[in-house]
Amino acid sequence: MLNNKEYINKIFQSNKPLIIYKTVGGYDVYTDFKEKIFLNSKNFKNFLNKKSLKLKSNIEELNCYIGFFGFQLLCENIKVKLPKQQSTNFYPGIVYKPQTIIKIRKNITIKSLLHNYKDLKFSLSRNKYFFQKKFNLNLNELQYSNLFKHFSKKIKLGETYQIKICQTYKNRSKIDAIEFFWKLMKINESPESFLIRDNDYSIISCSPETLIQKKKDVITTKPIAGTLNRTKKMTKNFANNFFKKNEKESKEHNMIVDMERNDLSRICRAGSVKINKLKSVEEYRDLYHYVTKIKGKLKKNISNHDIISAMMPGGSVIGCPKINTLKLLNSREKINRNIYTGSFGYINANGNMRFNIIIRSILNYKNRVEISTASGVVIDSKPKKEYKENYIKAKSLLDLFKT
Amino acid sequence: MIYIIDHEDSFTYNLAHLLEGFGPTFVSNYYDLNRKKLERSNIIVFSPGPGDPSHYPETQKVYKKYKGDKKIIGICLGFQQILYGENANIVPQKKIYHGYQSKIKVLNESALFKPNKIFLGGRYHSLKLKEPFKSSSLKITMRCVETNVAMAIEDTINNVYGFQFHPDSFLTVDGKFLIQKIIQS
Repeated sequence: MLNNKEYINKIFQSNKPLIIYKTVGGYDVYTDFKEKIFLNSKNFKNFLNKKSLKLKSNIEELNCYIGFFGFQLLCENIKVKLPKQQSTNFYPGIVYKPQTIIKIRKNITIKSLLHNYKDLKFSLSRNKYFFQKKFNLNLNELQYSNLFKHFSKKIKLGETYQIKICQTYKNRSKIDAIEFFWKLMKINESPESFLIRDNDYSIISCSPETLIQKKKDVITTKPIAGTLNRTKKMTKNFANNFFKKNEKESKEHNMIVDMERNDLSRICRAGSVKINKLKSVEEYRDLYHYVTKIKGKLKKNISNHDIISAMMPGGSVIGCPKINTLKLLNSREKINRNIYTGSFGYINANGNMRFNIIIRSILNYKNRVEISTASGVVIDSKPKKEYKENYIKAKSLLDLFKT
Repeated sequence: MIYIIDHEDSFTYNLAHLLEGFGPTFVSNYYDLNRKKLERSNIIVFSPGPGDPSHYPETQKVYKKYKGDKKIIGICLGFQQILYGENANIVPQKKIYHGYQSKIKVLNESALFKPNKIFLGGRYHSLKLKEPFKSSSLKITMRCVETNVAMAIEDTINNVYGFQFHPDSFLTVDGKFLIQKIIQS
């Protein structure tokens, strides 16, 4: 029989559907999916609140649904309608019920509800992979700066206080998701990284942003606002000083902190929402991020759907105030964001949850690859700088296609 | 009961979170008012929100109907809505304050707060009150130290109060105290 390492290599090389999620000290691999639920705005609420979510087996980690909610699904869930956009008709959202979890830490351990999981037959992948370096970008610098000016006017009129312009890179490729994922982890391992590989699509992401971490009745969110392009000589201390002294970055961050406090306050007990760690700096390969951690204690009788509706789509990737800014964005964005600024994660039967914001992601569907990126317009922003920031954010993903 | 009229802002629930500490609090959208609950409430709060007061005629009607009858409190846009209801002009300001922390000074006109006290307040506004502004009962009771822009109003005759800054923001030092003073006045 295969040992654990041989087994995991074999399934990586196969075309078996699986999910990898970064966790503290390693990665969790979920597979042997018993159920796959296609989500849409009609069944979303029912799925989140349904009783079968409470069915229990003796392996706690497997009493969960894991998957993604697309941006459109999350908008429609809070009754924000999207106009007709250019779309690849990708799935609005999918969740899976796993029967096997493989924990990659110093050692590899496997827990499964199936007795014979190692004997299950699956074919080795015969996919023909191909990819190219060149990408098409949906907004050039001039188009970007026109949109920028349009939104700046809206800020002056008080219709929005901060708004994130999204750009999308696309090309024709079919990538080996597993290979790309590990390549990405080598250069940019971030706390909310994940991969989904299914028969007809794959997603890989090195998201740094935790949107919901719920344990019992304590809920935590960790919004990011503020990005600094990292150069070779730069230290974390330098980044810290930069953010502290930079009025524009501070104000942008303040706004997001108050907005996330607001979203938690919708579902948390009076007086329980507290800033846990204000304005710390996190370090990544190409950039530094400015991050705050906020916590609250949930009110009684709050459903999963209440939590998702209060928190998603995550405010830090949209702007502020959420509803009006979404309306302004949607009226101007011509292509569907698909998974971008949606959310990936799991809900466990014991009520615990973990969800991220899907950014720094590659979606590969129907031999098309798309990578989206966004940065914020506030009153002191400069279009040239924000345009460049978008490129910096996409860079480590675009680089994967060069080697 | 405290009734908060939400102008679909992303800061309304920070305010609700504060107010819940002082009594039962109900929040509804400005386009979806619960008339019975509004009637039963003793305090009505106008939330912050995008745009300018002329975008929200429903809230203006509520102000006209209940002014003098119930305590009314306005925050940011809500503050401007009260002034707009008193025929003030709300105009764009040169410098825009979104996520800004400013020094704010209490004026001698304040009946509730200690005159000359200076504290830090969090601001989210691109519009301001155009001055001079004259009213027989409404007094400007706080100003921005740097720009002199009106930051608070009090009308102790009609029980109407407002802040241009956000007592609900983490940028405001001791915002809870400011709200408490008004609730208990």
